[in-house]
Amino acid sequence: MRRLMRGNALSLFFLVAFLLALAGQSIAGNADYNANQITDGGAPVSWISYVSSSDFAVDVAENWQSEYLQFLLFIMVTVWLVQRGSPESKKPGEEGEEGDEDQKSGPYAERDSPPWAKAGGLRQMLYGNSLGLVMGLIFVLSWVAQSVAGTAAYNARQLAQLQDPVTWFGYVCSADFWNRTLQNWQSEFLAVLSMVVLSIYLRQRGSPESKPVGTPHQATGVEN
Amino acid sequence: MAVLAGLAGCSSGEETPAQQVAERFYSAVGSGQGTAACGLLAPRTAEQMRSDGAGCAGSILQLDLSAGGVRATQVWGGEAQVRLAGDTVFLHRFSRGWLVRAAGCSPRGEQPYLCKVGS
Repeated sequence: MRRLMRGNALSLFFLVAFLLALAGQSIAGNADYNANQITDGGAPVSWISYVSSSDFAVDVAENWQSEYLQFLLFIMVTVWLVQRGSPESKKPGEEGEEGDEDQKSGPYAERDSPPWAKAGGLRQMLYGNSLGLVMGLIFVLSWVAQSVAGTAAYNARQLAQLQDPVTWFGYVCSADFWNRTLQNWQSEFLAVLSMVVLSIYLRQRGSPESKPVGTPHQATGVEN
Repeated sequence: MAVLAGLAGCSSGEETPAQQVAERFYSAVGSGQGTAACGLLAPRTAEQMRSDGAGCAGSILQLDLSAGGVRATQVWGGEAQVRLAGDTVFLHRFSRGWLVRAAGCSPRGEQPYLCKVGS
């Protein structure tokens, strides 16, 4: 058991951190929602009602979609674009999807390679892009969820302010939808930019996300 | 998708209770039962009506509130809008059920509705 936990410590750490943060968000969000309700002359709601509400759902989904977009872009763009000196980048000249020999796929698959990497055709194509496909699917689903929950939350606010509700299409064309979306995207893009550029010149001893401390700034694609 | 539909406020099953409260409110006003009508107002709205010299029951009957048949009802979260032939009503869901937040409301383009009861 202890060995199992140690071997999966990174995943477990982030799973626990995610659950704690989500629980904290639900408690703080409920308090904030109830404060607004009282200000508007409405009634406060229970924690259960809040976590099943569109207000909570849109706040969660808008962050999820932007995080999955960030990693989707990072995964896909780094296939084709390089950054000289960054451990997050391939070496200049290696741009592109690479051949079977580099990717250990098809005839170059090894004995313990995943079965679909050994297969040809559609199966290898799907498996060879499965990370991007799944991250992209989660991004799209989260963004749709944001738009649906956002419509409900926006319309509740509209009615509380004695204004007409809007359709889903009206909402996805609204300033509220794009303000929520773009404020998350800009922060994600800045974080990736910082990671790519700062890791050229700065080091974190022992981290696989950093170059070894003594590696030259010009060295590209070198990780601990 | 069922969860999303629920979150989107589709077929939440709350349209009928909200609509019934709006109808009871106009029925009370129409039959001169000011106290009953005031009992269906949200606390803050009732307080605003009480601050009038004639009190809530007297004030609400002095207003020219014309109902007519229900044209459409929309419920989003804890808020509802009931459109009647001659009026629009906004309701909020409290622990004891739906109560009228504003009535006698007329649209003003992108501005909030102008309401005779509540604001």
